[in-house]
Amino acid sequence: MKKITLGAGTGYWGVPIDFPRELVERAQLDYLGIELLAELTMSILQRMKMRNPKLGYIPDLLEFMKVVLPHCVKKGTKIVTNGGGTNPAQAAKEVGKIIKELGLPPMKIGVIEGDDMMDRIDDYLERGNKLANMDTGETDIQVIKDRIVSAHAYIGADRVADALKEGADIVIGGRLSDNALYVGPIMYEFGLSYDNPDDIDKIGAAITTGHIIECGEWVTGGSSNFWETVKEPWNIGMPIAEFFENGEAIITKTPDSGGLLTVNTVKEHLVYETHDPKKYIMPDGVADLTTLKLEEVGKDRIKVSNMTGSKRPEHLKMQIGYHDGYLAELMMLVPWPKAISKAKRYEEIVRERFKKFNIEPLDLRFDMIGVNALHGELSPIPIDENTINEIGFRVAAKLRTKKEAYLVRRFVIGGALCTGPVGTAFNAPNKEREIIALWPTLIPREEVKTTLTMIEGE
Amino acid sequence: MNKKVQLIELAWARSGDKGDRSDLGIIAKNEENYQILKKEITPAKVKAFFKGIVFGDVQVFTMDNIGAIKVVMDKALGGGATNTLRWDVTGKSMATAILRMEVETDT
Repeated sequence: MKKITLGAGTGYWGVPIDFPRELVERAQLDYLGIELLAELTMSILQRMKMRNPKLGYIPDLLEFMKVVLPHCVKKGTKIVTNGGGTNPAQAAKEVGKIIKELGLPPMKIGVIEGDDMMDRIDDYLERGNKLANMDTGETDIQVIKDRIVSAHAYIGADRVADALKEGADIVIGGRLSDNALYVGPIMYEFGLSYDNPDDIDKIGAAITTGHIIECGEWVTGGSSNFWETVKEPWNIGMPIAEFFENGEAIITKTPDSGGLLTVNTVKEHLVYETHDPKKYIMPDGVADLTTLKLEEVGKDRIKVSNMTGSKRPEHLKMQIGYHDGYLAELMMLVPWPKAISKAKRYEEIVRERFKKFNIEPLDLRFDMIGVNALHGELSPIPIDENTINEIGFRVAAKLRTKKEAYLVRRFVIGGALCTGPVGTAFNAPNKEREIIALWPTLIPREEVKTTLTMIEGE
Repeated sequence: MNKKVQLIELAWARSGDKGDRSDLGIIAKNEENYQILKKEITPAKVKAFFKGIVFGDVQVFTMDNIGAIKVVMDKALGGGATNTLRWDVTGKSMATAILRMEVETDT
């Protein structure tokens, strides 16, 4: 039975370089996925591109390419990435230069564009559409319209499969859904079609398999409940999926690596950010995660069978980033004795300074790190505060304008630095920073016109 | 006789986010525990537990195939990762918070 082997070299922007390097060195992969985008990333990249039109892709992508390309050429591994961010064309040019620098044979690069909807929103709205916020229920985007920074549709695997059909060795896109990096190769290799009813469960299986590996080490013992039994997390392995013609998959990881891969660690990732598990909605289909079966079939080998799904949705998710004020933040370390009382005193000082400067923050938060910063009101407060050695006192405020944020940094929270209790350790308050909020919405699939351009990288 | 235990005795958990929505997965340590979770983890109880933290709807989904419960909570992350004032912007610690919750067992 035909199978293809797909490895996840990364699962987020910031993955250490040794994870993908060891994966491509030690495993024989047909496809390597390099996933680099989170919800906010496109807005950050858009800002970079506005400052310099030759930027806007994930800078780390080039570093990864330098390391993995020689191995991929030798082993015949094709690469699919969404690290092109807001500028896949430029990323492809840069990768082309790397191919030349490394003296590798010429390679075909497929460039996928069209997920950037920034220039198309006005036209869509003029036709009477509203782009309601799918999370908050706000019905009309006009309330934030003049503050929009970026707008990108989450696109599926169809162009990835097209690029592979055209002979691409490397496929570079922007806001491809994370698991499209894996669904694309599976659809291409097994000739799956969105329109063939017999293929729908297999596409569901591809989405599910893609989901399991798309966050990298999050399924191989990273961020795990089982952290005490994870072997050598400093050498953690990246996940590999062997996908079979019959729609089943075996999940494994970098040979001779650390980490942990068991039925339980796969469960940890099946419940991760999947919302309604019966309807895990992706651009390529809707996976049902409640039918599958997990079985350990060998050391570091978990079989996933009976995966199912239904037809892809008519609408794509579109993430709109918009400017939403500024953040001012300060943290100080407050020592024993009476650390809680001291933190409360600082809170009082900051609140009074806000009044004195007549600034009303849009939002204001105080945390006692070591006491309640993570579990908030669910955190039991120690009865005897002298059992606490130290507390991080944190204040964060959201302000309307950059000027307000500056005043808050310099005079409001800045005014708490030396006016409070003895013994506090502090640095200068963090520089205020812009806040970009997200407006998730839906857009009909046909409004998103993606393109594929093949270039020769040499 | 019914006994109250903390969820941490019965389950593992992990959480993530999408916008201002906190998404928790609670994995039963065995089938018996899963039946307890199914009975005890209800939207109303979860909402009451996260009072002062979660301000939107709470949905609960079951996964009989892997013995896990999903809890999806709206308006739960102070506005969402990009514009929240929380230190834990994506709510990764929310899963450990729910493991503090007490549930009734039959034994």
